[in-house]
Amino acid sequence: MPGHKRVAVMSPQTRLAHSRRRARGRWRVPKLDPAGADRAATLYRRQRTLAVAPLLLLFTGILGLPLVFALFPALDDLRLLGIPVSWLALAVLPYPALTLLAGWQLRRAEQAEDRP
Amino acid sequence: MIIAFAVAPVVLVTLLIGLRGVAAMRTTSDFLVASRRVSPLLNSAAVSGEYLSAASFLGVAGLIVKDGVGALWYPVGFTAGYIAMLVLVAAPMRRSGALTVPDFAEARLASPALRRVTAVVILVIGGLYLVPQFRTAGLVLSAVSETPYWVGVVIAGVGVAVTLALGGMRAATYVQAFQFFLKLVLFIVPAVWLLVQVGPAARQEAVHPVEFTEFDHDTRVVFRVGTTLDFAEPTIVHIGQEERRVEGTWDVPQGTTVVFPRGTEVPELAGEARPGGDEWQRPLLDIRDSGHPLLSTWALVVALALGTMGLPHVIMRFHTSPDGRAARRTAAFTVGLLSVFYLFPGIYGVLGRVLVPQLYLSGATDTAVVALPAQVDDGWPGDMFTALLTGGAFAAFLATSLGLVLVVSGAISHDLLPGGLVRLRITPLVVSAVVVLFALSAIRLDAGVLVTWGFTVAASTFCPLLVLGIWWSRLTVAGAMSGVLVGLFTSSGAIACALFGVPLDGWLAILVAQPAPWSVPLAFATMVVVSLRGRPPSWSRTAMLRLHLDEDSVGTPADRLRALREGG
Repeated sequence: MPGHKRVAVMSPQTRLAHSRRRARGRWRVPKLDPAGADRAATLYRRQRTLAVAPLLLLFTGILGLPLVFALFPALDDLRLLGIPVSWLALAVLPYPALTLLAGWQLRRAEQAEDRP
Repeated sequence: MIIAFAVAPVVLVTLLIGLRGVAAMRTTSDFLVASRRVSPLLNSAAVSGEYLSAASFLGVAGLIVKDGVGALWYPVGFTAGYIAMLVLVAAPMRRSGALTVPDFAEARLASPALRRVTAVVILVIGGLYLVPQFRTAGLVLSAVSETPYWVGVVIAGVGVAVTLALGGMRAATYVQAFQFFLKLVLFIVPAVWLLVQVGPAARQEAVHPVEFTEFDHDTRVVFRVGTTLDFAEPTIVHIGQEERRVEGTWDVPQGTTVVFPRGTEVPELAGEARPGGDEWQRPLLDIRDSGHPLLSTWALVVALALGTMGLPHVIMRFHTSPDGRAARRTAAFTVGLLSVFYLFPGIYGVLGRVLVPQLYLSGATDTAVVALPAQVDDGWPGDMFTALLTGGAFAAFLATSLGLVLVVSGAISHDLLPGGLVRLRITPLVVSAVVVLFALSAIRLDAGVLVTWGFTVAASTFCPLLVLGIWWSRLTVAGAMSGVLVGLFTSSGAIACALFGVPLDGWLAILVAQPAPWSVPLAFATMVVVSLRGRPPSWSRTAMLRLHLDEDSVGTPADRLRALREGG
C-alpha cells in the first residue's frame, strides 16, 4: 500500500496504556443535560432494584451449599452413577446454575434500558 | 525435550504475533476500528483467556490432591465473581470511561491522592497474583525437564520481559480469545484421554478414595525444598545408589531425590493430613486443618466472589467493549465460558490423588496435572499429552502474566512516578525482574493460596470503592481513602501474619489466613461512616448518575456538546 504511513498495531490494552500518558488532561466537573439527568436517575433506581434479587440468590447459593454439606454429611455416601452426590453438587451443579443466573440478570438489566 | 516441544511453540507464536502477525492480516485502520467493535462473545473469550491463569490450569487440581475435594470451591468462587461483576460493576465501569481503578478514582472523586493510593493497591494485588504465576511456570518446567527450579523461573521471567519489550502485547483481542479456546482444548482433550486410558480400576478408586498410607509401587520423590517427614516405623529408602534406614523425624535436605520402596508406610508431613482420608473426601475446605470447615469455606468463597471485580487486568479488558451494554454482556458470557472450563479440574484432581499422591510429600502438587499422562502411558502418547498440558499451562501463565505486568507497569509509570522519569518500556523489565526474585523464594507457596490472597486484597479495597462509588452518591474522598487504606492494611497485615507463621488455632487461624469475612465489611463500614461525617461536593450526584446513563441517549460527542450549549 504505497502512500500509507506505517503505524504500530497493538492490542487495545497496550494502546490505551501508552496513550494514558497523553490523554490525562485536567479533570472537569461532570455535567448532564436535564433530560439525560432524569433518564440517568430513573435508570439508576431501576437497576438498583434489579440488583437485589440476583445478589441475594448468588450469596444464598454459594453460602447455602456449604451449609447443606455441613448439615447433611450423608450426601457423601449417597451415590449417583458411582460418584458421591456431594461431589457432583460441588463439581457440576454450580456452573449451570451460575450461567442461568447470569442470563436471567442480563435480560432484566437490558430490558430496563430498552426504549419503547 | 519437553521444553522444546511444548513451551517453545507457545512463546514463539506469542513473539511472532507480537512482531508481525497482526499487521500482515489487516490494514491498520480496519484493525483499529474493529478493535472497538469487538463482539461481546469474542471479548468474553478474551476475558476468560486472560483470567484462566496457572492457578486455574494447574493450581486447582493440585489443591484437590493436597487438601481434598473441597478445593473445588476455588473455581466456584472464580466464576461467581463474574455475577457480582455483571450486577454491580461491568456497565457503569465501562460508562465511566476509566481504564483502571486509579482512573476511576480520579474520574468519580477527582482526587490525585486517591489515584496514587489505588495504584499502590494495584502493586500489592499484582504482586500476589504474579508471583504464583512465575513460581508455577518454574515448577512445571523443572518437573518435566529435570532442571533446577530457578532455571524455570528465569526462563519464565525472560519470556515475559522480552515479549513486552518487543512491543508490548500487540496480540489483540482475538489472539487472547484464541488463547482461551487453545487452553480449553489443551485441558479437555487430555482429561478425556486420561479418563479413558486410566482403566476401570483407577476410575473406581478415584470415586472411592482410601487414605494414602502405603506406597503401592517403588515411588520416586524429588524434594526441591527441604521438608520434615515423620516416620511411624523404621523404613529403608534409597537415595541414589545409597540405601538408608530412617526412623522418627527426618529432615530431608533440599534437592534430594528419594525412592520409597513398594509396601513401605507413607511418612507423615508436619501439619498436613494425608490425601484420601475422611476429611479429604468432604466437599468443604478446611484451611490450615483448623477444624472449622464451614467457616473456612465461607471465608474463601466470599473473598473470591467479591475480589474478582477488583482485579486490575480484568477491568482493563472490559474497555474493549464498545459501550456499557456490551460490557455487561461480556461479563454474562464470561460466566458461561468459565463454567465449561471449570468442569474439568476436578477430573485431574481425583485422578491425581490416585496416581500421583506422593507429590504432596514434596509440596509439588501443583505439578499433578502435567505429571499424570506419564503415569498412564509411558510411550509416545504419554509424552505427547505431557507436552500438550505443559504448553497449555505455559499459555495460561503467559496470558495472565503479560496482562498483569502491563497493568502494574502502567500503575508505576503513570500513577506513581509520572513525568517521564520511568518509561513504560523499561518498567516491565524491572517489574519482571522483581517478580522473578520474589518467585525464587516462594516455591513452598501453592499457586491457589497466593492468588486467593490477591483476590482478598482486591475484595477489601477495590470492591467497596467501586460498589460505593457507583451506587452511592454521598461517597467522599476522605471516606474512600480511609476505607481503601483500612482494607489494604487489615487484609495485607493478616496475610503477612499467616505468611510468617504466627501460631494461631481454630477459627482465629481461619480469620487470619482468610481475612475477607471481616476485612471487607470493615472497609465498607469505614467508607460509609467517614463519608457521612463529611460533605460530598455539589457535583457528586451527577458524577454518579453519569455512570448509569446508557449511551444511546448521549449520542456522539458532538451531539453532547451541542446539547450542553443549547441547554445553557
